[in-house]
Amino acid sequence: MRRRLKSAVVAVPVAFVLASGCQKAAPPPPLASVVVASCAAIPAAPGDPAWDAVPEYVAVLIAQDLVEPRLLRLSTPEIRVRAVSDGSRMAFRLAWTDDTRDDLPGPAEFVDACAVQMPRVIEATVPAPQMGETGRPVDIVFWNAAWQATVDGRGDSIRDIHPYAAVDHYPFEAASLQPGSAPQQEMATRYAPARAVGNTMAGPRQSPVQDLSAEGPGTLSPVPDGHSTGAGRRTEAGWSVVIVRDLPQALTSQGDSQVAFAVWEGGHEEVGARKMRTAWIPLKLEVKP
Amino acid sequence: MALAYNWQIGRSMSYWYPENRPKRQFAAVFDINKCIACQTCTLACKTTWTSGKGQEYMLWNNVESKPFGCYPLAWDLNLLQQLGAQQWRGKEYAGRTIFEAAEAGERVLGWRPADLDYAYPNVGEDDCTGRVDRGAALRAPHLNWFFYLARICNHCTYPACLASCPRGSIYKRPEDGIVLVDQSRCRGYRECVKACPYKKVFYNALTGTSEKCIACFPKIEQGLQPQCFVNCIGKIRLAGWLSPPERARADNPLDYLVHIRKVALPLLPQLGLEPNVYYIPPVHAPDEFLSQLFGPGVPAAICTYRKGPDDPDLAGLLGLFGSTDRVVPRWRREDDWVAALDEDGSQIVRVPLKEPVYIREAFDAQHQVTRTNCP
Repeated sequence: MRRRLKSAVVAVPVAFVLASGCQKAAPPPPLASVVVASCAAIPAAPGDPAWDAVPEYVAVLIAQDLVEPRLLRLSTPEIRVRAVSDGSRMAFRLAWTDDTRDDLPGPAEFVDACAVQMPRVIEATVPAPQMGETGRPVDIVFWNAAWQATVDGRGDSIRDIHPYAAVDHYPFEAASLQPGSAPQQEMATRYAPARAVGNTMAGPRQSPVQDLSAEGPGTLSPVPDGHSTGAGRRTEAGWSVVIVRDLPQALTSQGDSQVAFAVWEGGHEEVGARKMRTAWIPLKLEVKP
Repeated sequence: MALAYNWQIGRSMSYWYPENRPKRQFAAVFDINKCIACQTCTLACKTTWTSGKGQEYMLWNNVESKPFGCYPLAWDLNLLQQLGAQQWRGKEYAGRTIFEAAEAGERVLGWRPADLDYAYPNVGEDDCTGRVDRGAALRAPHLNWFFYLARICNHCTYPACLASCPRGSIYKRPEDGIVLVDQSRCRGYRECVKACPYKKVFYNALTGTSEKCIACFPKIEQGLQPQCFVNCIGKIRLAGWLSPPERARADNPLDYLVHIRKVALPLLPQLGLEPNVYYIPPVHAPDEFLSQLFGPGVPAAICTYRKGPDDPDLAGLLGLFGSTDRVVPRWRREDDWVAALDEDGSQIVRVPLKEPVYIREAFDAQHQVTRTNCP
């Protein structure tokens, strides 16, 4: 018993020395804000190696549980954020863990999604992080996996969702109508009500992202002239999504603002207000004006 | 939550918005006793409104065989089970509505069907328990009966779909009480699909928005009854305007059937939505089952209906069903005739209390030929 104790006493300093000698470089301290690194050209693809050199901010996600309908079951714990700017545009690369790929829409199927939110006006106090507030709007860029799949080439028909679906007839595909002709297209649009009234949710979809603005919960509206872009890629662990938007002029002059993020896990039926979100996070330009 | 008065349950209840009744309320009476489940109504609606991509599975109108039929699967049983056993105290509902039973974080107690729940619109069709002696294995603790339940959106006074939408994308038209999804505003969250107990809001996966029965409002605006009404070959339906009970008029056909004779009853009134499609319950099904579907007024409604042959007003009004494509705001019986009237009292159509019977001889003596009934 005594011999065993003696060995232990000797072993402890040796182990300490070995550990000290083999110690890796200490990880950089966690960022206190999302730092927007300067770059010559925006890396638009999520897998672009240029992203590797950009500092990463790990944002804790919390459940949206302030307004009904609330999310009461936690899902995605965190989102990893990198940001760059070329002086006129800024890009965020958002990455998060997600075991399931949910990109197929259906009556009871929900799709994976994420969003970036910034206050429209940069001022000392920020609007409410939950979609802004009346008179104090927020700008949002929203990406979802179903739109990404469509942009990546998945078709826009019931058989693209259910490959064995049998459909007898669509009136707008009658033999008397020339496929692709103006009358045929006009009739097809009439049979897609949301598309007919110009709801941008309804496609046809050319981008996996949508520009939105809001002044409080329930006020989300599309920005008609929004021109943000995006690209999402399924990774081994989950999703990696790049969202590119205009660099706010006020941010160029002041150098810092606030940003918030949200993630929807389709496999948990998260949609709309049922989401995991961050609080406002400080956002700083790496090179201040 | 606000307090709103719901006359169908005889009390005020919690609702997401305060009581705000439309100027007039689109409503309908369906006489279940006359439905033969030919599905002509279903097809009339389908071909008119839901022939587009993403609408393939939608049946804004469907007809199911009760007790076993349901579209989507178990639309009624799932919610009744979720709500649990509740009680009526006379004509006042002593239980909880789906607004009062909402769980934490929710506006309404509800559930969302799975994709496959929509795959069997004919499940239970024509099933009853009466063929056991001929080899049917089905056994259930009730008598041998079934009936057909035709269903559309109820254009409720307190719609659960409207209450549940966090974006305010669903609205009830002040001019006629028709409940619509604003297709320009909807973002497809499907809170309405989850909340509607009748499961009459459907998600279009190809437009990313939810859609529902619109009561053929372009026709209603022209004073015409919806497609599923005018195409009903059983003539079981009548569309009109329903007043609140305290303003009921005997010359309004809907008021007469619902408020005055109380022969037409709402579907699942205990859920609290004040639905505006009213059913004359089938006379041959057990009260216990019917009372769960249509509330405590069932025995009296059936009793009144059974006396129809000796009740010229009731029988006459029922004869107006299917007699015109126009919405019927007023009516009047004059001896053996019943007239459908417009708001200004002008006559829309006039039908005899009893259809005259003409019998032709099978053999036409004048032309020396045998008559046939072939067209």
